[in-house]
Amino acid sequence: MTSVTSGSISGRQPQAVRSALAILEEVAAAGVGITAKEISTALRIPPATTYRLLNLLVAEEYLVRLPDLGGFALGRRSANLAPSSVAAPTAARQVMRRLRERVRWGAHLVAFDRHRLTFLDPDPDHPPTDADELSRHPHASGLGRLLLAEHGLPDGPLTRLTPRTVVDRDELAGRLDEVRATGLARQCGEFHATLGCLAVAVRAPDDGRLVAGLALTGPAERVAAPNTELVDLLHTHAGDLAPLLA
Amino acid sequence: MTRIPGLRARSPVAGLHRRTLRPLGVFAQSVATTAPAGAMASTPLLVIAVAGRGAPWSFAVAAVLVGLVAACIAVFARRMAAAGGLYSFTAKGLGAGGAYACAVAMVVGYGLLVAAAFSGVSWYGGALVARLLPGVGAVGAGVALVVVLAVTVAVCAVRGVRLAGRVMLVIEAASIGLILVVLVALAVTTAPTGVPAGVPAGTGVGAVGVGSVAVGVLPALAAFIGFDSAATLGVEARRPYASVPRAIGATAAVTAVLYLVATLVLLAAPGAAASGVTSPPTGDLSWASVLMDAGIVASFGACALAALNTLVRVLFSLAREGLAPAALGRTHRRHLTPAVAVGVTVPVLAAVVVVGTLAGITPEAVFGGLLSVGTLAFLAAYLLVCVAAPRFLARIGELTRGVVVTAVLASVALAATAVVVVLHAGTGLVVTLAALVVVGAGGWLLLRRLRGPALRAMGVYDETTTADVLAVRAR
Repeated sequence: MTSVTSGSISGRQPQAVRSALAILEEVAAAGVGITAKEISTALRIPPATTYRLLNLLVAEEYLVRLPDLGGFALGRRSANLAPSSVAAPTAARQVMRRLRERVRWGAHLVAFDRHRLTFLDPDPDHPPTDADELSRHPHASGLGRLLLAEHGLPDGPLTRLTPRTVVDRDELAGRLDEVRATGLARQCGEFHATLGCLAVAVRAPDDGRLVAGLALTGPAERVAAPNTELVDLLHTHAGDLAPLLA
Repeated sequence: MTRIPGLRARSPVAGLHRRTLRPLGVFAQSVATTAPAGAMASTPLLVIAVAGRGAPWSFAVAAVLVGLVAACIAVFARRMAAAGGLYSFTAKGLGAGGAYACAVAMVVGYGLLVAAAFSGVSWYGGALVARLLPGVGAVGAGVALVVVLAVTVAVCAVRGVRLAGRVMLVIEAASIGLILVVLVALAVTTAPTGVPAGVPAGTGVGAVGVGSVAVGVLPALAAFIGFDSAATLGVEARRPYASVPRAIGATAAVTAVLYLVATLVLLAAPGAAASGVTSPPTGDLSWASVLMDAGIVASFGACALAALNTLVRVLFSLAREGLAPAALGRTHRRHLTPAVAVGVTVPVLAAVVVVGTLAGITPEAVFGGLLSVGTLAFLAAYLLVCVAAPRFLARIGELTRGVVVTAVLASVALAATAVVVVLHAGTGLVVTLAALVVVGAGGWLLLRRLRGPALRAMGVYDETTTADVLAVRAR
């Protein structure tokens, strides 16, 4: 216990804080997989101190240990230190404007940042639901289901937002299989009782990873109809957006 | 999002309520498993009986040893979060063989601890009911209490560790408070009598011998077992790398202080010690006796729930590894707890106690028998995790001299204790241990044939997934 817990760090130890920040910077610069020994050598911090600071940074979730337990990477919490500004390129905005001219529903473009949604180009005439709200309940929205189809069901309980929300895990898994098969996520009155949406994925042309989602929102009962033309329109525009966003 | 090799999109232990439990709930789990109230009332008397005036020193030595073990567990708990607790840790240092041995030790240890808590309730609770309601038989009341308790803990365990944590914390705080009040009252009322006439002669009272202190360490150590149980909440704790090692260390420290206080009070109040080892101290205070019994029963109840929480998570983890029936790895749809494992284990463990009691074995004997085997299983698990700690650190390149010293001291002391226990064990205990070793070895051979790859890959834990990483670029 001596080397690990006895040295608690107080505000009177500027060197410890400086070292912790240097370690964060080192991990960010070196990329995923740097080991404690490498950090200690590179920064000339004594090994025992390095291990203690690394454990602290892992406990606070600024760093994570990789599955081999020896390597480190930046944790999601580090993203809070430098929020990335998200904005759609002008060319992508033009694609969205063309789409909005052809449909009467709200057309939104979101970016998928790990398990979070961020609006790149929300429809100004049809303000969408708050992005955080959407990120919290991905099972109930079309855009969220695109994300779940990619990463699997969430671990936590599924909240019932309206009487029509699918909260049964098996049923939801079935819906996600459909999304994977058709490339279309459809939701009618599951997030807001009166609204529904159609969503398709925007994938990188080279490796096919999910980068963004394109959604149309409209009245729930009209979303439930086949809407073949609208779906085709969505797929073509998603295809146009792919090289601009990936 | 960059794809990083070796990183999964989904944790292998998904299905539990991940990263939600507050630090206090994690702490409550570890404290309740050690059942400090029940141990405070019974263990100091056992230690005084063999170590006399040296009893506080026996507890101090045991506390230092437990501290060393806690430090070795913290080596892992700061670096990985697992539902399997110590056995998942051991896997990262000793590989499949050590992990399997540790898993068997944990299943036996925690299973017997749940059963022992049931029988403790039947023993103290039955006696309490019989005293309060003269018409009722102690055995019948005890059996009825076990059935009620079994149903209650099963429901609490399925409802989730947050509710269970709250229940355990309230019960434990109340019963520790009760017992402290009673002990202080005993000290105040009986201390002025002076000479410790009540303590049996020839037990080394007055002279503190090194030998008697050493003999007292084992029963003192038994009072701490289960302090590691927060390790199995790694998946569910909100900040596991901070709260789990802290909970384990704090439990060891808090219980050590409580046991020392109880021992000092009992030594200062000879009337209490005179009332015997197997029944709670009464003195002249009948109200105190009732209060104390109520506190002990509550503490055993909380212990049953806490040990059950741990047991089902170990089984869940084993099932997810493919080393136990897959059904045990299923979680409750809504409450996200290993409900199937609860449904399987509780009836079996309650039946052991009920059948034992109805067959005419005294509750004391059932309790003592279960605990003596259980304690050895815990010692084995602690020994394995202490041996594994430096090897694990060496493997990931983070070994320091402090950990080596800690692990060597702890391992030697634990091994020595285990050897002493086995050498002094009665025939029954030796036969039981031999049977467990044979069954364990048979299980190993069977699993190696049927589930070889799963066995070799043993040690699933809540790995970092793609969702946790802020991916910049892979090296």
